[in-house]
Amino acid sequence: MIGLAAGLLVLPEKENYVQIDPEDLMWDAVQPTKYFTVDQVATMIIDDDPTLELIDVRDIESFNSFSLKNAINIPIDSLLSPNYEDYLGIEDMNVVFFANDNIKADQAWIIGRRMGYHSLYIMEGGLNSWISCIINPQEPDESAPLSAFEDYEFHKGASIYFTGAQLETSDKKKSVKVIRRKKGAAIAGGC
Amino acid sequence: MHIHELNPKRTVITMVVFVVVIIVGLLTLTSPRLQYKISPSEAISLVSVANQGIDASKIDNMLSASNNPTILIDIRNNYDYARGHIASANNISAVELLSKDNIKWLEELKSNKTTVVIYGDNPLQANGPWMVFQQLGFNNVTFLKGGYDYYLKFKDAEKNNSTIPAFKAGKANYNYAEVAKVRSVGSVDTEKSTKKQTIIRRKKKSKATAGGC
Repeated sequence: MIGLAAGLLVLPEKENYVQIDPEDLMWDAVQPTKYFTVDQVATMIIDDDPTLELIDVRDIESFNSFSLKNAINIPIDSLLSPNYEDYLGIEDMNVVFFANDNIKADQAWIIGRRMGYHSLYIMEGGLNSWISCIINPQEPDESAPLSAFEDYEFHKGASIYFTGAQLETSDKKKSVKVIRRKKGAAIAGGC
Repeated sequence: MHIHELNPKRTVITMVVFVVVIIVGLLTLTSPRLQYKISPSEAISLVSVANQGIDASKIDNMLSASNNPTILIDIRNNYDYARGHIASANNISAVELLSKDNIKWLEELKSNKTTVVIYGDNPLQANGPWMVFQQLGFNNVTFLKGGYDYYLKFKDAEKNNSTIPAFKAGKANYNYAEVAKVRSVGSVDTEKSTKKQTIIRRKKKSKATAGGC
């Protein structure tokens, strides 16, 4: 009995996560389902989706200067620190990692997925895409399909939502002078 | 009165069978085929190392150099590979690379100190597979910076002697705080542009011969 008890001392400390098989990790890593587009994230923020958990994996200074609404800052090097482990693996929560672009978020995703956490996602394109698509949308070409214009309308609305910009006031009364054409001589016209 | 008390031999037989089953189970227990060689925290410190990967400018020289054997693997699908790929690249998808035979091959390459460079269309495609291989202990596996798209742009620029597009990954393209601060769209403009508009009116011609297209 004492011998067995002594054996407990040499046992390695048990990790409180179950790592997934490398093959499964590789399989999950190449699936396109791990991405949320910036449009999807914007919709969820606007709708106050309670299952959305945004995690900013950039450093603290960048986070303090700008981040998304309700985002939590977990710099990638402190992803495993015990202070933050409660943020991952909450049931029914969709964790969305984002950074300047995809790479850092993807790295955080790989580490998190390896540790067996579910419902992890990446905001595709990161904050660079966020700015170019949502905050500063570009008007599509005239020849663009209708859906592009619908997206543009959504982006314009979202931009107003996120920047607090005022609506374009097209109904402001501009005094429009009506200029009547003077009639010239009877035969003045062309064809 | 219980049955085993009537037949004590039966108890012994049952016990022996039980123990044999357990021993056989323990002996046939195999460890998983692939195992992580580094812990998650080591993996994080690994990806935090700056300037990883192979530059697009160096890859051609690396492939032709004989003293430093290099193998290039295109992890995109067959279709993309068929449309164009870097010369001498093998087309093996990331999931296929973990198959038994390929792992054996990679082990050989590792012992031969051969560098394995993987690439996808963009930096993101190769990032996940690269990290998985690093965590499996294949530290000879690296990736092509920027992927195939950047390689093509780089090659074109080199041919035409135009400026080579800078490779940037992980950098902010905007000063986010500046771009996304509260703005007002449109309404300001109307107040600013209170300049009087001057309307230039052309004199109308009223001669009989004035018309015509």
